[in-house]
This record gives sequence, C-alpha cells and structure tokens, in this order.
Amino acid sequence: MVINRAYSSRKASKLKWEAKAAVVTMKELFWNLQKYRELIWALALKELTIRYKRSVLGFLWALLNPMLLMIVMSVVFSTIMAAGIHHYAIFILSALVPWMFFSQSLTYAVESIVGNADLIKKVSVPKIVFPVAAVLSNVINLMLSLIPLALIVLLLGHPFYWTWILLPIYIVALAIFTLGCSLFFATANVYYRDVAHIVQIVMNMWFYLTPILYTIEQIPARWRWLFKFNPIIFVLNDFRLSVYWGLLPTFWSVVASFLCAGLAFLIGYAFFRKHQSEFVFYV
Amino acid sequence: MNHMQSSRPVIRVENLTQRFRVIHERPDTLRELFTKRFRATSNVENFEALKDVSFNVYHGEMLAVVGANGSGKSTLLKAISGVYRPSSGRVEVEGTLASLLELGAGFHPELTGRENILLNGLLLGFSRRQMREREKKIVEFSEIGDFIDVPVKQYSSGMYMRLAFSVATEVDPDVLVVDEILAVGDTPFQAKCFDRLENFRRAGKTILFVTHSMVQVLKYCDRAILLEHGRLLMDDTPTKVIELYSPAALESTASPVGA
Repeated sequence: MVINRAYSSRKASKLKWEAKAAVVTMKELFWNLQKYRELIWALALKELTIRYKRSVLGFLWALLNPMLLMIVMSVVFSTIMAAGIHHYAIFILSALVPWMFFSQSLTYAVESIVGNADLIKKVSVPKIVFPVAAVLSNVINLMLSLIPLALIVLLLGHPFYWTWILLPIYIVALAIFTLGCSLFFATANVYYRDVAHIVQIVMNMWFYLTPILYTIEQIPARWRWLFKFNPIIFVLNDFRLSVYWGLLPTFWSVVASFLCAGLAFLIGYAFFRKHQSEFVFYV
Repeated sequence: MNHMQSSRPVIRVENLTQRFRVIHERPDTLRELFTKRFRATSNVENFEALKDVSFNVYHGEMLAVVGANGSGKSTLLKAISGVYRPSSGRVEVEGTLASLLELGAGFHPELTGRENILLNGLLLGFSRRQMREREKKIVEFSEIGDFIDVPVKQYSSGMYMRLAFSVATEVDPDVLVVDEILAVGDTPFQAKCFDRLENFRRAGKTILFVTHSMVQVLKYCDRAILLEHGRLLMDDTPTKVIELYSPAALESTASPVGA
C-alpha cells in the first residue's frame, strides 16, 4: 500500500480549493472519518475509560450516575413539586436526558482541540477526530442512560410506548447538531480560551429558555413564535413525544430537527476546516 | 550518492519555508483582545524557522540532520511528518511514515503501555488488526516486561522511549523520522535501536535522523545536512558536514576511543 502525502503551501493549494467545490470537502470529511474510524472509536472509549478509571464501580457509574439523578428528580417532582403534570418526572427527564447529552458533549468537545495539544503538535492526524470522538463518547453515555430512564418509566408505572424505537433517529439528529456546535466552539476556543467559560454560561441560559422544565403551551401565546428560533427545541420535543406522550412527531418537526442539525454542522465544520491547519500554532 | 540520484526520491523538500507568527503577548483572552485593540503598536512578528530549504532523500538512505539548537531541525522533521503545513514550498513523502518526534509522542499518561500501543498505532494511521498482530513483538523489543500493563505516567523516560521506538519501528513504515530521542536510552538499548535502523536501511527504507552525536552521524549515516538559522548550509557526506560544523568531533572520533 502506497499512500502519497503532499503538504503544499497555502498558495499552491488555494487554486485547487477554488477549482473543486464543496463536494470534495464532504468527500474529504467522509474519507477521513472512514479511514480513522478505529482511531475515533479508540479515542471515544479512552475518554470513557479515563473518566471511570480508578473508581471501584468503574463503568457502572455511566449507569448509576443518571440513575441516581433520575431517582432524586422523580421523588422531588412527584411529591414535593408536583406541577399538575401527570408523571412530571418523566415529563422532565424525557427532554432533560437528551439536553444533558448536548450540554455535556459541548463541555467536553469545546476543549477537545486544546486538550489534545500534545497529539496535535506531534502527530499528523486529521484534527476532526478529536471533537468527533468527544461527541461519540457522550453518545455512548446517552444510550447507556436510556437504560435507567426505561427503568424509571417502568417503576413509576408510566406506559412504555412503542415510539421508543424511534429514538435512534432523534439521537442521530441531536448528535449532528451537537457536533456542529462543538466544531464551532472548539475552533473558537483555540484562539480565545474564554470560549469554554462563555459556553458554560450560554448553556445555562439556553437551558432555561428551552421548554424542558415546562411545556411550550405555558409560554404566553404572543411570545411562543420566538421559541421556534431555538434550534434544539424540535429534537428535544421529538424525544418527549416518544418517551412521555407515545406519539409520532409531525413530519415537519423531524425535518426541522435535521435541518437545524445540518445547518449547525455546516457552519461548525466550515469554520473548523478553515482554521484547522493553524491549530498547531496556537494550542 | 550519485548512484541513488537515478531513482525517485522518497522525500522531496522543495523551497520549504516555515514561518511562525510570533506574537509577543498575544491576547489570550477576550479582555486582552479588547484592551489591546486601542494600542497602536503591532507586536506580531514573523519568524522564519526554515528558509527556502530544498533537498531529496532516496530509498535506503539514512540522513542525519545536524545543527545547533534553534537551527530548525525539529521544525523540519515536523514539516516532513505533516504536523505543520508549509508556509511556502512543498514537502512530499511517498509511502507510510512513522515519526518519533518527542518523547512518547501520542501516549496518554493514564492509559497502560498496552493500550497506548494501540492508540499510538492508530494515530500513525495503522489499523487495529495490524497493531494487534504486532503487539507481542513490540512488547518484546521494548523489554518493558510487566510494566506494559501499567499506566505510562509511571514510566521512566527511558521506558517511554523504548516503547515509542518499538511502536514506530515495528509498524514497519517506509519512512522513519527520529528526533533525538534515542539519547534517552541506555547504551545496550541504543545499540539495539541502531541495529534495527541498520536493518531498516538494508530493507530499502528511509530514515531521517536528528542527533547531536557526531559519532552516530559518522558511524551510521550515508549523508548529512547542516542547518543554520533555518537555512540549509550544506548537504554532503557526514565527514564533510562535520568538518564544517564540528571539526573537533572529527578529531576525537579519528581515534578508536569514541566508537
């Protein structure tokens, strides 16, 4: 097997870039993801093993952690803060679980370039593997946390709807959306380390501006249109429909989920790609 | 090296210039960005670590890169390894490449030696299957023994280097790039490493090698290039290059003591 590597200057390759269109960019992306899929997988597993290493219960924490949180929430929201919504705990968790995936992924991924400075400065590897691995490790976590969610649903006697089988579709949409945001903020964080902190604040505000603890119907009707600009609202609602209501989403809400995901990814990836060859000088 | 000129070079470096933007007091935070905006002075400076460097390396060659600290040796190896994109000029490498740029490049301290073998191999672009096949040999060559299942943060620098060298050479790349790190190993292991490099060369592979040991250059290399302040000063036989760079070393190695 002979691979030809050529690293040419910005000037020389600029012509090439102009000639070839976005198709090539996407091809390059898929080629990299395909070629380095084993590395991405290994990096994602590394994140997880390191997170749980040196703990007696090890990987079990991936299940226990959300389980305990969910139990606490169930108790709090079914007895202390019963809000007049039937099985309020499940109502919340059905949107909170995917939200936690989003916010945790972003927290990890925003540091994924700076945090892998050692590798980036010493090995020639497509930089995209790092944010992808960060998001992937959280996808694994999300899937694991569906197990305690199912247990709570059964425990509280909430119906276990067949619509659960649609969750993988929503997970894909949410993961693409998350990756797009991650690529954007991970790139920005290379240049200004404040970004990681700002992301934390933004996530907090975003959380309360998203109907997770409340329903969109609780918002005054004249403000409701504003909430439609929240790009994550559609996919979270899809999760809630599946787990809490046992309903199919409207066709347009699925389209909107994937549209938001695609748009976030395109913006994030374009920004990332433009700057990735400079990362090595700033990390 | 005239006999080699006929074949296609494995590494081609053409007019390579590597520029770094050295920003004195780069605004690292947004606050600094905003406050510095109002200052008129621009403190961005272009530093050229490599200036218009051209050379070729052919099959079966072991090329030494020598020069003082800060002459651009490491930058050159990084550009060839693809870590840096050239500011101008071209670098072409044919075939697979493994590099040992710094101690334990690509090792994660929390993972065990065995886990790092896999991770390192994948980073170098090899597959999980290829790495599993080679794992036993890598462990064997490194002579690390039971430490292979210990997190590498507990390794000594010598053990780090042993493992890194074993991985980079056992994956059998077409081009091997080694930056100084051999200096860390003890004498018997160094000898073993050079044995392996010799075998590599005999198998028609190409080795690029940074060292400060003129003894090693004389003993093992076919050719040497000398860098000074980022410029390629000389590209010739080891003896000629050392004559210019460090004539004292030549005298001391003339007697059989140094070997």
